[in-house]
Amino acid sequence: MTGYIVRRLLQLLPVLLLASLGIWAMIYAVPGGPVASIVGENANPEQIREVTQRLGLDRPVLVQYWAWLTSALTGDLGASLHAREPVLHLIMQRVPATLQLGFCATLVGLLLGIPVAIASAIWPGSWIDRTLSGWSALALGVPTFWLGILLILLFSVELRWLPSASAYVSFFDSPLQALRNTAMPALTLGTYVSGIFARFLRASLLSELKADYVRTARSKGLPERDVVGRHVMRNALLPFVTIVGLMLANFIGGTVVTEAVFTYPGLGRLLIQAIGSRDYPLIQGCILFILVIYVLMNLLVDVLYAYIDPRIEYR
Amino acid sequence: MAEPILSVRGLDVAFTGSGRSVPAVRGIDFDVHANEVLGIVGESGSGKSVTSLAITGLLPATARVSGSIRLGGVEITTADRETLRRMRGNDVGMIFQDPTTTLNPVLPIGRQVIEGQVAHGRIGSAAAAGRAIDLLREVEIPDPAARAGQFPHQFSGGMRQRAVIAMAMSGQPRLIIADEPTTALDVTVQAQVLSVLARRQAESGAAVILITHDLGVIAEVAHRVAVMYGGRIVETGRVEEIFARPRHPYTIGLLRSLPRIDGAEERLVPISGQPPAPARMPSGCAFHPRCPIGRDRPICAAEAPALVAVGAEGHASACHFAAEAETADTSARRPEPRPLTPEGAAKPAAEPPLLRVDDLRVHFPIRAGLLRRQVGTVRAVDGVSLDLRAGETLGLVGESGCGKTTTARAIMGLLRATGGSVAFDGQDITNLPRADMRRVRRNMQYIFQDPYASLNPVRTVGDIVAEPLHIHGLFDQMGGEKRIAELFELVGLSRTMLDRFPSEFSGGQRQRIGIARALALQPRLLILDEPVAALDVSIQAQVINLLQDLQRELRLAYLFVAHDLSVVRHISDRVAVMYLGRIVEESAKTDLYERPTHPYTQSLLSAVPVPDPASRSRRKRIVLQGDIPSPARPPSGCAFHPRCFRATEICARERPAFVAQPGGTTRSACHHAGPLDASILAGAAR
Amino acid sequence: MTARRMQRRIETAKRLFSHPGALLSGAFLLLTLLLAFLAPWVLPIDPLLQDVSASLEPPSARYWFGADELGRDLLARVIYGARTSLITAAGAVAIAACIGIPIGLVAGFFGGWRDAVLMRIIDVLLALPGILFAMAMIAVLGRSQLAALVAVGITGVPSFARITRAQVLSLRQRDFVLAVEALGGSSAYTMFKTVLPNSWSPILVQVVVLSSVAILLEAALSFLGVGIPPPTPSWGDLLRTGKSFLYEAPTYAVLPGIALTLTILSLDTLGRTLATVLEDRREIAGASSEGSGR
Repeated sequence: MTGYIVRRLLQLLPVLLLASLGIWAMIYAVPGGPVASIVGENANPEQIREVTQRLGLDRPVLVQYWAWLTSALTGDLGASLHAREPVLHLIMQRVPATLQLGFCATLVGLLLGIPVAIASAIWPGSWIDRTLSGWSALALGVPTFWLGILLILLFSVELRWLPSASAYVSFFDSPLQALRNTAMPALTLGTYVSGIFARFLRASLLSELKADYVRTARSKGLPERDVVGRHVMRNALLPFVTIVGLMLANFIGGTVVTEAVFTYPGLGRLLIQAIGSRDYPLIQGCILFILVIYVLMNLLVDVLYAYIDPRIEYR
Repeated sequence: MAEPILSVRGLDVAFTGSGRSVPAVRGIDFDVHANEVLGIVGESGSGKSVTSLAITGLLPATARVSGSIRLGGVEITTADRETLRRMRGNDVGMIFQDPTTTLNPVLPIGRQVIEGQVAHGRIGSAAAAGRAIDLLREVEIPDPAARAGQFPHQFSGGMRQRAVIAMAMSGQPRLIIADEPTTALDVTVQAQVLSVLARRQAESGAAVILITHDLGVIAEVAHRVAVMYGGRIVETGRVEEIFARPRHPYTIGLLRSLPRIDGAEERLVPISGQPPAPARMPSGCAFHPRCPIGRDRPICAAEAPALVAVGAEGHASACHFAAEAETADTSARRPEPRPLTPEGAAKPAAEPPLLRVDDLRVHFPIRAGLLRRQVGTVRAVDGVSLDLRAGETLGLVGESGCGKTTTARAIMGLLRATGGSVAFDGQDITNLPRADMRRVRRNMQYIFQDPYASLNPVRTVGDIVAEPLHIHGLFDQMGGEKRIAELFELVGLSRTMLDRFPSEFSGGQRQRIGIARALALQPRLLILDEPVAALDVSIQAQVINLLQDLQRELRLAYLFVAHDLSVVRHISDRVAVMYLGRIVEESAKTDLYERPTHPYTQSLLSAVPVPDPASRSRRKRIVLQGDIPSPARPPSGCAFHPRCFRATEICARERPAFVAQPGGTTRSACHHAGPLDASILAGAAR
Repeated sequence: MTARRMQRRIETAKRLFSHPGALLSGAFLLLTLLLAFLAPWVLPIDPLLQDVSASLEPPSARYWFGADELGRDLLARVIYGARTSLITAAGAVAIAACIGIPIGLVAGFFGGWRDAVLMRIIDVLLALPGILFAMAMIAVLGRSQLAALVAVGITGVPSFARITRAQVLSLRQRDFVLAVEALGGSSAYTMFKTVLPNSWSPILVQVVVLSSVAILLEAALSFLGVGIPPPTPSWGDLLRTGKSFLYEAPTYAVLPGIALTLTILSLDTLGRTLATVLEDRREIAGASSEGSGR
């Protein structure tokens, strides 16, 4: 098992290296290069020379990358140009908010998605199936930012129940306030995710229901509840676990849009602000951070899958 | 006579899924008694599997069932779900075709074997584990206690099917339905499974319905037979009667179109045409368009004949002219207008072999780890030598995983040879560069097993047959469209079909198209990889005859790769038997089949079910233990020694040489080669 | 012979539009397409004409969808926004297909080191959620319609590459591809004449599905303020501005959203129905192959 994890980690190394190279090179692709990104495009030559030397931009390119990478590995992602604070510090401030939103949304997605999938897979082609499939198409088709707007119109503008701009309140500090602030963003994102979950699980349930072993299970005289509950579900849930895991991984950086709708102070908002103010060290830091977490989560999902599926032997 | 366990009357099953009603079973009657094996035989689409699903109430919701099925006095067609559920597992056990998919891949075997009984409340969950182990032991699973906790992928195919038998037997049902239980298995493994099934049936006294397309299996196991065609039972009777005195033209045709392992040399008499599709069932007698007797008689096209008693007790035939069917021998087997080469006799050196394979090896590396280092080798082909002369057929037989297909593909240059050499017409063609290989391929062509997979679905069949000419830039030179039409007629297809797509053809027709494509470049050698394995028996005979005619006309050499020993015997001049990447015995056909010297050949031949129930009591069968080892870890010395009944200490140590045996044309690789000793048979047979 | 092939295509199309959902979706998309591209010639509306007196006017006989904060006709802006969306989506899908399909084809067909290298590159593209990847690219390229188009296109490359590769890998195992090799067909012949023509079905479905993804992604980028820069009307940007006037003019943010949602839903429905129709066609071909049923 350990060997398997180590090997998968080593396989990811080239991907991480290549991606980090891309992130680092970003700043060189910006018009005017890294210097202009700091001093602006209308700076005088002295400023430019000063910044060039301070940042070590006169050194060979590879040396610059190496320096950037090694300091990034020690957690030093540089300082934000505007906030004048270490980038990592800014990021870590936002992570809990994003995590809370991601978990809540996944929970909403599971609660909505799994029953929908099971109901429509058990009666395929029925009106229940058609209605529920329509629901998942809608959940996937309605853009989250528009759904968010509709929810704000309903719950904030019309009913005045919930704040239209959500703040981050930890569930551990004040559960009720946290719920008021997280409910709408979580519902928005969760609806979308429930569509993905429902569609995927329905498809895998349907294909499992066609499998020969289902006929075998029925021929033994198992009640339908056991045929579905013990045989079909177990097979269908194996790949489903992967999808849920990948969705969680996706949420580390993928809640950008929802955060923007509700002005929720997560990692995504930080990134948008950074792009808006052309704060390149902050942009690079955010993306690198999200990348590493995302890739590691993917690895975790793989390992988990290998662990729960008896057919896979990690040699 | 005692009350039958199962009694079926006027059973009709139709599927309504596609908007209109498609009949699958059309009014059948039969009984099954305790202690009896009823064999239901039929080709694809005959309704045999639908019948078995109807009995267990497992048909999909789109099926409409009418008539009566009474199991132990309970009417099934009108039973509610709960009654049906209680009946399954308690009164009826089922065994399905493919053991790789009938078991749930993520649950332990032991649990799957016993869970039906737990669900029925017939055993507590505490006792269940122990009972599962007992059940596995009864079907001869070695080390059942450890095996019960394993998952299906850790079992071999034969073991899985035996576990399924254990599962079906777990509730001591009065009726067992086995639907093609050995079709997916190799012949030596089939022998194991059939013997376990027969023993458990005898021990439990259960009634068994055995559904199969294989007349050999029926003759071997069944007491009574029902022959199905077009959703009806066309003939039924005791197994000896059906095989000795068939009274329906279809049964007669089926038996005549079957190649025999026990020697008959005559040309096969195929049934013309195709089995009917349920959606387009002919009027009257469903068989009349293909029937030599009824083809032109108005009554056969107008009226469906009833099943009426003929001859011996219990024998019934559904034919308007059953009496005529018995006597009319309209198309007796003609002797084969062959052989071209005197059989077996080594040709004088005057004619050098067309194909010479010398010590061919094909090894696949097993790579693992981050750096994809090679950690092992699959020795798929490990030193194969053979010769093939013009106009001659060499049969290459073996069970799955023996390397026969790999050998064929390596000869064709589709796989890289690791060692050894292949020479065609005196020229070394081993691992030629692609461009040079192209020229050689004009002279040797390959025919694939699955006619459904080997034709490009998005091209018309005319384009497919013309493809080799276009690839070699010879389309105009070799006669263009006219040549394509000629090829179509050569393989017995109409030129009006040229612009259709492969999906519009049946399996036999598609195989003909594959043959036409292979002949387009006028090759001298055809490598045929299981060319008839995917076809129904009646169609199989048509294709075999076509191949034999073409060989005679065009003086083709055939390398005929197959697992079916009867087909190989019928078509070959010489036969080579492969086991784990090597040829263990090679000889002229008659010598090999009559006087095998290698223990593996002997076991293989004894395991083949013969469609002759009369010889059942006389024949002794060697049931090999265990499964074919993985070619990645072949046993030391002689690869066969762990399963061999003659193995001694030297066999594990030293690899036997491939040497000529005295008194015949046989060469074999065995330390103890020799004719089968009666005492060994007595010891090994059960 | 081509007549028969044509006939097959027409049959597939007939079967596709015999599903009411697909028919409705197709009709809506056709209407959107016609409106978006013929608007300058047929409709008496101007998305850029300002009328400050009508600022944030609710829907009326004159402004069916109301007016925006500068008094511009919102219906006109929604219709011209469709144009932006559709062009961006079409361009993005074209980029994704033109890069992704060859990558998948080469990786799947040749395998070995080519496969390893190409798939590692795809892994890098997949190492970030799509929207972040697009944002990062726009951060570099600067904000423009072309940048949005390229960024959305690049995020679509992996799906084309993977689907093509999977299809090629499964086809490579099939006997009819091996048969062409046995006949002496060259690599190029096998790849372009045998493998590729059998890969179009899943690729076609992917084109439709990815169009909806591209429209959504472009709208999301504009909504975040990093997509298509004003004053070009785009649905995402309309929603972004509309969101600031939720109390004053609630319809502002609602109506463009309906257009966007219907377009995405239509493409999604069309894509899924197409997938089942093509699947059925394959299954019908396969069903007769069970005829040999052993």
